[in-house]
Amino acid sequence: MARKTLTLNADGTLDGVQMAIVNKRMEAICAKMANTLLRTGRSGVLNSARDFSCCIVTAENRLLTVNESLPIHVLRGADMMCESMQEFHPDLRRGDAYLHNSPYHGCSHPADHTTLVPVVDDEGVHRFTMVAKAHQADCGNSIATTYHGSARDVYEEGALIFPAVQIQRDYEDIEDIVRMCRLRIRVPDQWWGDYLAALGAARIGEREIMSFGREIGWDTLAQFAEQWFDYSEQLMIAAVRKMPGGRAVTTSMHDPFPNAEDGIPVTIAVEVDPDEATIDIDLRDNPDAMPCGLNLSQACCESTLLLGVFNSIPDAVPTNTGSFRRVRMHLRENSVCGIPRHPTSCSVATTNLADRVGNAVSRAIADLGDGYGMASTASIIPPSLGVISGTSEKTKGAYVNQIFLGWGGGAASAQADAWLSIGHLGNAGMSYQDSIELDEMRFPLTVRGRHFITDSGGHGRTRGGAGVYCEFGPTEGDLEVGYVSDGNVTAPEGARGGTAGGRANQFRRDPNGDLHRLDACAQAIIPEGHTIVSYSCGGGGYGAPTERPAEQVAIDVRERWVSPEAAREAYGVALDESGALDGEATAQLRNG
Amino acid sequence: MRFAVDTGGTFTDLVVESDDGGLRMYKAPTTPADPVAGVLDTLSRAAEDLGESRETLLGRGEMLIHGTTHAINAIVTGNTARTAFLTTRGHPDVLVFREGGRIEPFNFTVPYPEPYVPRSLTYEVPERVAYDGSVMEPLDEQGVVAIVEELARQEVAAVGVCLLWSIVNPAHELRVGELLERHLPGVPYTLSHVLNPSLREYRRASSTCIDASLKPLMGHYLGGLESRLRDAGFGGRVLVVTTQGGAMDAADMAHAPIHSINSGPAMAPVAGRAYAEADTGADTAIIADTGGTTFDVSLVRGGRIPWTRETWIGQPYRGHMTGFPAVDVKSIGAGGGSIAWVDEGGLLHVGPKSAGAVPGPVCYGTGGTEPTVTDASVVLGWIDPAYFLGGAMALETEAAAAAIESHVAGKLGLSLHEAAAAIMSVATENMVHAIEDITVNQGIDPREAAIVGGGGAAGLNAVAIARRLGCAQVILPEVAAALSAHGALISELRAEYSGTLYTSTNGFDFNGVNALLEELESKCRGFIEGPGAGSLEQEIELTAEARYPSQIWEIEVPLRGRRIEDENALAHFVEDFHKTHESLFTFADSESSIETVGWRANVRCRLRDGVNLSVDGADGGREIAGHRSVYFTDTGFVEARVVHFEGMETGETVEGPAIIESSFTTVVIDPGAKAERRPSGSLLITP
Repeated sequence: MARKTLTLNADGTLDGVQMAIVNKRMEAICAKMANTLLRTGRSGVLNSARDFSCCIVTAENRLLTVNESLPIHVLRGADMMCESMQEFHPDLRRGDAYLHNSPYHGCSHPADHTTLVPVVDDEGVHRFTMVAKAHQADCGNSIATTYHGSARDVYEEGALIFPAVQIQRDYEDIEDIVRMCRLRIRVPDQWWGDYLAALGAARIGEREIMSFGREIGWDTLAQFAEQWFDYSEQLMIAAVRKMPGGRAVTTSMHDPFPNAEDGIPVTIAVEVDPDEATIDIDLRDNPDAMPCGLNLSQACCESTLLLGVFNSIPDAVPTNTGSFRRVRMHLRENSVCGIPRHPTSCSVATTNLADRVGNAVSRAIADLGDGYGMASTASIIPPSLGVISGTSEKTKGAYVNQIFLGWGGGAASAQADAWLSIGHLGNAGMSYQDSIELDEMRFPLTVRGRHFITDSGGHGRTRGGAGVYCEFGPTEGDLEVGYVSDGNVTAPEGARGGTAGGRANQFRRDPNGDLHRLDACAQAIIPEGHTIVSYSCGGGGYGAPTERPAEQVAIDVRERWVSPEAAREAYGVALDESGALDGEATAQLRNG
Repeated sequence: MRFAVDTGGTFTDLVVESDDGGLRMYKAPTTPADPVAGVLDTLSRAAEDLGESRETLLGRGEMLIHGTTHAINAIVTGNTARTAFLTTRGHPDVLVFREGGRIEPFNFTVPYPEPYVPRSLTYEVPERVAYDGSVMEPLDEQGVVAIVEELARQEVAAVGVCLLWSIVNPAHELRVGELLERHLPGVPYTLSHVLNPSLREYRRASSTCIDASLKPLMGHYLGGLESRLRDAGFGGRVLVVTTQGGAMDAADMAHAPIHSINSGPAMAPVAGRAYAEADTGADTAIIADTGGTTFDVSLVRGGRIPWTRETWIGQPYRGHMTGFPAVDVKSIGAGGGSIAWVDEGGLLHVGPKSAGAVPGPVCYGTGGTEPTVTDASVVLGWIDPAYFLGGAMALETEAAAAAIESHVAGKLGLSLHEAAAAIMSVATENMVHAIEDITVNQGIDPREAAIVGGGGAAGLNAVAIARRLGCAQVILPEVAAALSAHGALISELRAEYSGTLYTSTNGFDFNGVNALLEELESKCRGFIEGPGAGSLEQEIELTAEARYPSQIWEIEVPLRGRRIEDENALAHFVEDFHKTHESLFTFADSESSIETVGWRANVRCRLRDGVNLSVDGADGGREIAGHRSVYFTDTGFVEARVVHFEGMETGETVEGPAIIESSFTTVVIDPGAKAERRPSGSLLITP
């Protein structure tokens, strides 16, 4: 059987055809890993929210191929984690596996347990590292949530930290580590199932790439990696050359939270140089780390900056070390959004402040020119996405799990209305949302209502995504709901004249039906007979609302995304009683 | 005599099986405005060929089995009925939320999908049932009547009703159905617990609304098909192929038309299974069906055709979920019309954009300017420009070459023929990727499978695909160009029943489970005695959908017996679950308990004994040049033998490089490969 296709050409390179073929094989390997994690994971955050990622990192610790997963997870960090693995364990052997969740060594935050499997060829040479990162339902924090917003430091946070700790040798578990986890994590069987799922994913990846390397030769694969980085960089150069040049500074503000009572201001400077095909992002002008859980890890900080950039360009560019070369990020040590020092807590690093930072990048790019950038995506984590816990007959004891009962809030882009169920910036809408029936079957709760909120999406030429109303409560005993809801004060901003999305809010409804406002960052206790009412943010709009085609606004009103009042006031569109467009009155509103 | 008619996008294929088992194959253009006319046209062609009147021919028919794209076309083009959605109060956005999920995380140029039924036609029914079936809020009948009156004002033509937990306690849904009958007579409706009693409200609601929206249209279409066939002289039974790869009486299909959505492609693996078994004895096969714009892959695993639980109309997360399992068919935009292009980083891509039928490949000379897979095949000498579709269309080689030169070769610094070969390589790789995707999901090692090619373009790169996957055998049936119609001919009557009952192996609910299994089995027996009466053989298969605790994606495990009577039977089930999990995901958590959620019963009634595989009276008329110059990547230009497919004797072998042609298809035998004509009429190729 002829198989000449995948050998190096005479000049030692691969051509465009061979590159395409090898790349597809690498993507297929990541897809296989991801399928295993999704289908076998135990925590809701894995099997519903798809809060995991699988990637291939080269022996020189460069990110090569990623499955389609939450961008905040994986744009940066996998490379840094692999680097620390090599630093702490210079002698990597086949059959090893390492557990990593240290935000001081490249992990996003301590809830993201990461399994690293070095791929060692038949000559004993380390070739690649397979990375499977999976968010846990519980990681041993001092309170029953993986998002400890008020933790003053990593000690109050309480998670066990594993800086690339060996967990398998010769394909066998190192039971010491397993026992430590089982004693510290509230739902040990669930953790064990998630560990098996992540390890299974990494091992499937290892098996596949071993066979591919043997088939086409490890040197060919190494050559592919070099050329793939160069190719990706070329695409990025082409994309940046088309962008509007200039420098823009944007600001935002994370809401006041416990131990950050004045809120957290964010300032971002973005400079695009189309001639040099570079983008510089400076965020050194920001406060020092704060005594709370909102500080960014370096991995999340750099990932959210890159996310802001890649979301803002309409071209499809592969996200890897090669394309990242065109983005220069200037961070400061010990900044709230920079490089944290131990024992700064980064418990909530993947969402709240990271979203503010990444959104600011997209808005800065929007400021540079129409057709680029985005508005702000919704802030989170409202109670409808909280970590719920309690004890019940139905769950045969204690339960801790994150639920995904409803989020919306996509940002309008230059090209299209928001992707409604985006969740938040770092998630990019990749999560599933929970089925009401599935959650009512698994947990002692009932969901009284869940729907989108009219007028909560930012108005604009393209519309922001609506926020979500969700009300639920326990059917057996107290229900504890942990959440950290940014956006109660500062709404997700619009861009280029688009308006902000709706704000978040949260209440407890008592048996009489009366509402009692809850704190934005809390472990709320909801007794039987009461419910928790969650309003999630809407996303910002893009462009002036009056530029939106009037016929489209009439449809928005018919479909209850926009009220007739907002159509008139924000969009300058008048409708008659039947909901049909009143052209004359609209012309008056828009021109007069 | 039996007829199988498959209406595709471009052609309507007919396979006629005479009483002595002989097969004949016909094609006529599909008539989109009136697909039944296309069906009757193929029958006219058959009658003409057989030298009798159509009425006489139809009068001899005892059965007509029909595969149709009518339902899917109506959905894709937005021509379904104006449909309302009735949901539990507080949950109006079930169809808007869907289940979340997205592809291409950095692509914000694609808008969010519209719900299948708009919010303006969604109505909240005042009621609520809890997960255990207890009533939290009684049904407010006055409220329902008010809604139904509003539906009348809105001139709604169909209604989908999906209330939370109707799968556990259907009383409210049933009562809403009664009120619809009374206050909105004549408007068809679908109740979710009747159509698809499965967990997860979005999938069930989506099934329900899609089904309701098809009822007026499919009722009319299927009624028209049957009456026009009767008028034309047909007195036999009319069956329609289902998405699950079985057949249903047309009248039953009209009551649950959602089952006709993937009516065509679902039949390819049924035929593929028969050829794999006859030609190689293999019980594991990959069926690769190459059309003009799509490449459809399906499988046979251990003699069975695997299903997928998640079936999308359109792209995942951007389309609509049908909520029903379906024959697992993976479709990608890769076919003869797929366009080749080079991106700004110098990488070659093929598809997913297609030149389609209009403007078509450049070589058709009908306005296409961008080079396609067909153009590359012509340039390489694989397709004879003078003998395309049996000579019905002359192809323009030079125009194809010019397009490849300017769009691909120039940009990559390759010669024309290197560029054309590269287009084929990338197309092959796309197809291989699709095959790997589906085989991996179903836990099949492609190296242990035979490939069965279907569709007119299957033969172009079947050898290349097999080599790339490491498959040892490729089968190109004589009926490849009408593979789905042939599959329809041998399909079985099928039905599926399901129920939801959540329990765990820790404290297993033996009584509840066995009562449900008894109920499902008795529905199967009812089917056997009804539509299945007189069938040759009947089979009932029971499966559980199970998972480890706190997993949420179940896997299917067939039951060994009809009930789980005792601890011993339960232990067998547990063992089977661990094994299945391990084979799918490489590990099992053998200490863990297991939760079961859904239970399914499939019933199959075999209508006939084996079917012939070879075609009678094929055209033998054409003289073919003995050799022509053909380009391959590994060899450059070589003189390849050109052989007429139908002219090959049984047992005759042809060694590559060679081209085997018929009026329906072209088969490329690469250098080093070998093809043998089998007694079935198929080509068996050793790549």
